[in-house]
Amino acid sequence: MKLTNNSRVAIVGGGPAGSLTAFAILDLAERLGISLSLDLYEPRAFYRTGPPGCNMCGGIISESLVELLATEGIHLPSNVIIDTIDTYILHTNSGSVSIRSHLDEMRIACIYRGGGPKGAENQRPLPWDSFDWFLLQQALKKGAVHIPHRVRDLSWDADQRPQVYFDGHNPRTYDLLVGAVGLHRPSLELFENMGFGYRPPKTTKAFVAEFYYGHQQVQKLLGNAMNVFLLDIPGLKFAALTPKGDYATFIILGDGINKALINKVLRSPQLQGCFPLGWEIPVQPCQCHPQIHFGDATNYYSDRVVMVGDCAVSRLYKDGIGAAYRMAKACANTVVTNGTSRADFKRFYQPTCTTMSRDNRLGHMLFTLDTVFRAVRPMREAMLAAIRSEQNKDHSKRPLSGALWDTFTGSGSYWEIVQRSMRPDVLFRLFGHAIKSLF
Amino acid sequence: MLFHQHENTVGRKYNDGEVIIRQGEEADTMFVILKGAVEVVAYAEDDPAGELTVLAVLEQDEVFGEMSCFDKLPRSASVRARGKARVLTVDSKGFLQRIQADPALAMRIFKKLSERIRTLNAEIVKLKAKTKDA
Repeated sequence: MKLTNNSRVAIVGGGPAGSLTAFAILDLAERLGISLSLDLYEPRAFYRTGPPGCNMCGGIISESLVELLATEGIHLPSNVIIDTIDTYILHTNSGSVSIRSHLDEMRIACIYRGGGPKGAENQRPLPWDSFDWFLLQQALKKGAVHIPHRVRDLSWDADQRPQVYFDGHNPRTYDLLVGAVGLHRPSLELFENMGFGYRPPKTTKAFVAEFYYGHQQVQKLLGNAMNVFLLDIPGLKFAALTPKGDYATFIILGDGINKALINKVLRSPQLQGCFPLGWEIPVQPCQCHPQIHFGDATNYYSDRVVMVGDCAVSRLYKDGIGAAYRMAKACANTVVTNGTSRADFKRFYQPTCTTMSRDNRLGHMLFTLDTVFRAVRPMREAMLAAIRSEQNKDHSKRPLSGALWDTFTGSGSYWEIVQRSMRPDVLFRLFGHAIKSLF
Repeated sequence: MLFHQHENTVGRKYNDGEVIIRQGEEADTMFVILKGAVEVVAYAEDDPAGELTVLAVLEQDEVFGEMSCFDKLPRSASVRARGKARVLTVDSKGFLQRIQADPALAMRIFKKLSERIRTLNAEIVKLKAKTKDA
């Protein structure tokens, strides 16, 4: 089962996973002189504001992904980058500390997945462009064909080739079907019903809201910093407030997020310090409760079919788009240079996914450890003191700051974070600071 | 300040003539030009105080500083901004790790390196011809 000249590929879902997979497949095929036909099914118009164009996400592009896209020749234009970040400010119940990028440059991009928050349409023409729309255009420039219809059904023909059904058209038969449907429940069911044993990933709920402050206030209060809140509130993993043009994007990740938890975080003095003076939380801001990836899918590939991005595997609590990029590249390398059989995916695609899955297990342990740190005052004060004491040192002598930077930026793996933060000298310093804070 | 007047982009802005990398420095980073152009300049190894020779002008999308990432030797030339330029630093360790997982990532760089070798070959031929004539 190999892709050859005139082979037909269908990708269902035109978010980052779908567009990046299309781009990577067509780019590699072009280098190897293989002419493919690739249809990208995506009904949503990402340039629309509010829910119709939005993929419900915090909208942070990690520094490692910014670097990788740039080396691939994909430069995010300034109208897609809404704001940039070079600093993280960590807020805890015992105080705050600022961690700056060790390179004197903007390393992290804040973007809107869709056309922007509900209500932003009043600013027409919009001063920014959708990130998902930009990536889709990159795939189309490579030769993908955009089919702006919702896929109604998926099945197999008599030769066991995948078939795609969409409104008002005869089914189309393909040599390869790629599922990049994120966590969209009806689309996941279509793949489940194909009968190759696919079971969707486990999910949990997050909360995302866009608060309008106006650009001047956003710059004054947040600047180029992402504010991360590791507060001792039961159920809260972390909250963040990110500058995004006229808006501040508020994100909560946690267990069982509900109105009470959201209000508790919003009313905390640490959050209130990041709001304009006298500013009231809007009654109906642009907000959503997106499902986020929490546990891997099973059987996410078979002969001539493979799932990419959130609908298969992702990184725990961070860098979902970076994970989609890695899987897109692994998928493209597999199908263009090796083949499209189940055995090919097992040998060449799965290792990338397995590496992420293993790392996520470590991530779960780190977040458990973090809960202990933030609940026990001497430990959290020791962490703050240790980070503060590192700030004037050379980059190589800031292991804890580097580990936290990688945790929040999504740049490093959890394994790299453990290696940096569990060094004997770091633990010794933490212990010393903890003892000091007791007296 | 209104949002639409605000230019957002990653990387760092360099002014005309500002040095981005220096010949002889140890290094663990490479760079991608996001906007503008840079020039690659070098002095003869036995004459650091001598005149600088412009070896190449690189423009948007091009990568530089990659040689030190691969051979771990000090920078073979300096690079400075030609006009205003915006440049993104790429951590070489992370990049080399990604190449292990995705060798196709290095293809673009190999292509650029091939183009540069072709240009250098053409320069050598020209110089040899000049020497012969002299």
